[in-house]
Amino acid sequence: MTRYLLRRVPSLALVLVAASLLIFAVLRLIPGDPATTLAGPDASPATVAAIRHELGLDQSVPAQYVHWIWSVVTFHLGHSYLIGGSISSLVSSGVANTALLAATALAAAVVIAAVVGPLWASTSNRWLDSLLTGANTLAVALPTFVTGVLLILVFGVLWPVLPTGGTPPAGLLADPGITAQYLFMPALCLALPIAAVLSRYLAESLRTELRQPYVTTALAAGVARRRIVVRHALRNALPTTVTVLGLQVGTLLGGAVLVEYIFSWPGLGQLIQQAITRRDYPVVQVLLLLSVVVFVLIQLLTDVLHAWLDPRIRLEGGTK
Amino acid sequence: MTDLSLQNPELAASLEPTVHPAGDSPQHRAVQARGFQQTSRPRRSALLRGRGLVGLVLVGLVVLIGVLAPLLASYAPQAQIADANLLGASWQHPFGTDEVDRDVLSRVVYGIRTDALIVFLVVPLGAVIGGVVGLVASQFTAADVVAQRVFDVLLAFPALILAIGLTAVTGPGLLPIGCVVVAVELPLFGRLVRSATLKARELPFVEVSELMGAPRWWVLWRHILPNITEPIVVQLALSMSGAVFIESAMNFIGIGVRPPAPSLGSVLSGSIANLRYNPMYAVGPLLVIAALVLGFQLVAQALSADRRG
Repeated sequence: MTRYLLRRVPSLALVLVAASLLIFAVLRLIPGDPATTLAGPDASPATVAAIRHELGLDQSVPAQYVHWIWSVVTFHLGHSYLIGGSISSLVSSGVANTALLAATALAAAVVIAAVVGPLWASTSNRWLDSLLTGANTLAVALPTFVTGVLLILVFGVLWPVLPTGGTPPAGLLADPGITAQYLFMPALCLALPIAAVLSRYLAESLRTELRQPYVTTALAAGVARRRIVVRHALRNALPTTVTVLGLQVGTLLGGAVLVEYIFSWPGLGQLIQQAITRRDYPVVQVLLLLSVVVFVLIQLLTDVLHAWLDPRIRLEGGTK
Repeated sequence: MTDLSLQNPELAASLEPTVHPAGDSPQHRAVQARGFQQTSRPRRSALLRGRGLVGLVLVGLVVLIGVLAPLLASYAPQAQIADANLLGASWQHPFGTDEVDRDVLSRVVYGIRTDALIVFLVVPLGAVIGGVVGLVASQFTAADVVAQRVFDVLLAFPALILAIGLTAVTGPGLLPIGCVVVAVELPLFGRLVRSATLKARELPFVEVSELMGAPRWWVLWRHILPNITEPIVVQLALSMSGAVFIESAMNFIGIGVRPPAPSLGSVLSGSIANLRYNPMYAVGPLLVIAALVLGFQLVAQALSADRRG
């Protein structure tokens, strides 16, 4: 495993450095002086100079990059001039809310896939198969903002039983029942496409496994069908599914931007959308880097998990 | 989100290249003579039956509506109508009116044109650029190393995050949407063409023609290109579905075309706060976006199912 990691980590580190340089360079290209923009039209030259110093804009460009990376690593991100408050606290409250939403969605997706996948793989009913295929195609194809608005239309307007957005007035931790009501639609919206992709891959690899000789042997030996699916086939079908899950987790952040926008959920997605419309570049810069770091780390985690589940990769050393 | 082929194992499998000799080679004629069908014929008919036909009709219908926009819309997309604030559905306004007194149907119908522009102009452009990069990468080792690293970095950004990063620099508009779509398609087509070309180069008849001293460009054009077109066509349909998503999503969160111009995404996001007054507000963009995204996916599925025989 150590050798496997030694091979994977440097190339991912390279991607991270390149991405951080790209983000840094691209946001430097914006016309106009960021300090002047951030200070606002009525700021005195002293304020502008202070902001410029705080952002490190009075240093050389390489020094600015090092300064920025250091501020990210130590999480002293400075002050947001346009949204207000310290960037560190904005980001950490955003991370907490997005993590709650994403974790709920992910758990829901895994549960749905764990039920639908084996059912789909082992069914011999043609109608059930077509129903699942159709529902699956729809769930994969429909963008989150389409399902989101559809959910609001159904459960918020035509049959108003759920809150259409925001967070519980008393706070997320006050009453789990109320929090669940607020979480239901955004989490479902985020979970559906992931659940669909997962169950499709799970069903596909289960079907492949169920055609293997060891399944025939087990059937001949009188092992119960359910036990074969759960104990034997599922274990072998897992590596592929885990990789797919990892790739899907990577898309959660992009999905969160849309879902949080629809349901006014105060997470990272909403923060980045706010930062972009108000042109608060220091916040945009940090959030872009954060999302790339998370995306790359999830890829690494997926690869490691895949290698751990499938000894052939760990020992022989395939690339993926 | 970025790589739609990952959503479906069948599609992922169909992006692998298959082997077909060049159109008029002796092997090919022999195969045909034995009664095997030429691959280009079933592909055409794959779009005229089952899923493929449904997909084609969905996309065709939406495009037709977009083309006929001036005939179908009773109002200009930007026109504000007196005394028509958030009206519900009626014969005069089938989808009602919006919060600034505009006819929603007219805005949806004209909004299709922005989508069509991105889908049918920018996606092929991204495919061509990506394809050329992939082709060059497959021929020269140095270019390959550089291209692979560029693809890695581009793929490290989720599509929507890339969109946000780019609009931070350029500001909202149609051009940034186009750039994002190209940036998303570039690594997908680049990798596809590169790996397909490398595989096709190892085919016996390609090796033979290289040994016989055929010029490199001729081998590429004559033997390799026909062998890699099928996965590219499937990817093109997938990418068009993806482009509808990116375009609508960018307009949805307000980093797309500038405000008075109509777009499906902006109509949809405008509807959220006003559904209580006009529930029909959201129906138009919902139907059109769903039809487009689903239509292209079905076409891709039909083509790839056909490829696998």
